[in-house]
Amino acid sequence: MCVTRLYASIESIGREITWNSSDLKNCIENSFPGLQAAPAPPARGMIAVEHLSKEYQHAAVLRDVTLSVNAGECYALFGANGAGKTTLLRILATLQRPSGGRFFLGGVDGVAQRDAARQLFSLIAHGSHHYDELTALENLYFSIRLHGAKPDEDACQTVLERVGLGDFTASRVRVFSSGMKKRLAFARAMLLRPAILFLDEPYAALDESGMALINTFLAEHSEAGGTVLMTSHNRFMTAQVAHRVGIMEGGRVNEMGVAEMRRRHELF
Amino acid sequence: MNFFSVIGLIVWKDGLSELRSRENISSMFFFALLTIFIFNFSLPLDQRVAQTLAPGLIWIAFSFTGVIGLGRSFLAERDNDCLEALLNAPVPKGALYLGKLLGNFLFMLTAEVLLFPLFILFFNLEVNANPGLLLLVFILGTLGLAALGTLFSAMMVQVRAREVMFPILMLPLAVPVLIAAVQATAGILQGSPWAQYGSWISLLAVFDLIFIVIAFWTFEFILEG
Repeated sequence: MCVTRLYASIESIGREITWNSSDLKNCIENSFPGLQAAPAPPARGMIAVEHLSKEYQHAAVLRDVTLSVNAGECYALFGANGAGKTTLLRILATLQRPSGGRFFLGGVDGVAQRDAARQLFSLIAHGSHHYDELTALENLYFSIRLHGAKPDEDACQTVLERVGLGDFTASRVRVFSSGMKKRLAFARAMLLRPAILFLDEPYAALDESGMALINTFLAEHSEAGGTVLMTSHNRFMTAQVAHRVGIMEGGRVNEMGVAEMRRRHELF
Repeated sequence: MNFFSVIGLIVWKDGLSELRSRENISSMFFFALLTIFIFNFSLPLDQRVAQTLAPGLIWIAFSFTGVIGLGRSFLAERDNDCLEALLNAPVPKGALYLGKLLGNFLFMLTAEVLLFPLFILFFNLEVNANPGLLLLVFILGTLGLAALGTLFSAMMVQVRAREVMFPILMLPLAVPVLIAAVQATAGILQGSPWAQYGSWISLLAVFDLIFIVIAFWTFEFILEG
């Protein structure tokens, strides 16, 4: 820590005397062989995962996962079934605890400060998080009030119309198809506008217009500075909105550029 | 969102769902009705014996009814993974517990208030009771059962054999509440002086308080699993 501070101070002085910090760092380390360079504190993104691991009954599902997603970025995770995508997402959404490592959401420690971290994100997962006996509108009211916001009927109505559920505001969710439930989940996210969106297979169960709608919303969310971390098997739709892509294999994340993914899979 | 608004929101959601589905109250009511029928036809009771056995039979019916209703109380949260949404909500988890408890308590009490007149009718009971005191015992006894049941229902929601495990875990711990409730009900139904059963009502209130406080503090750990 002291060495890091020393480097930082020297770096600020170095700018004025045209030395750079790496020269000084080398100089110090050469002069004092026992003094190891301390790693500089990471410049954390909106989502910062550091050496995360997860084991189930001694079987490693995640191994030393490190990744960072900046504000305004959409990061997509691909991988085979059982690769650990959903496990990683559930850990980041504070639904499971990691076996090792740590993660930060908006700079908040996701393990030590769960409640504070929970104010920053919304999760859209396989389950729609809606009550079957409540109507679409009532479900939105419930979710919004639970997150401490005041529900505005006009806004709810507008969002429901946008996701194609304008004629179903007073219908109970019990009669909804999986795709309609997914649309309702996105309506909730549109109203809550969280800083971070975790999406687990967002395109599953949706028709083409639904998928296009989701992509429009995700693009808007990113443009407004929101962060998205999603898992997907739909490379074509994901490549339209993702800024970066990670492939999960053997519990590790290997990054790949979106252009590279498009080229490899001849998407466009 | 403030603490009491969360409680109100959960009660609103559970109440509205129950009002529309009537799954819990109807299953609780008909199960208890069946229990009363069976007791009525299997026990050849004259009025004197009925008067003696009635408090125990009433609380057997109420506790079994409670087991049915409370065991299902978190199933709605499991459907569509709603429990994840509650867990992720930035609200005090103790408020979620109290909201669920209040909802369960109201459902149970509604079923009991509907059943008690039928009980009097079937067993031809002579009730010299103070209705206010009887209602107080019903409220305190039901609150104790609901406090324990809500906690164990949350614990059991992800367990595969929850229908078996739930009564096995809950009922032994509910024994103090049931003993106090039966003794207090007996005293009230027989028109005994307060001195003979007042201590049981106090005990009931103390058990309720202990159960609610313990469940309130442990609920978050149980929910987080």
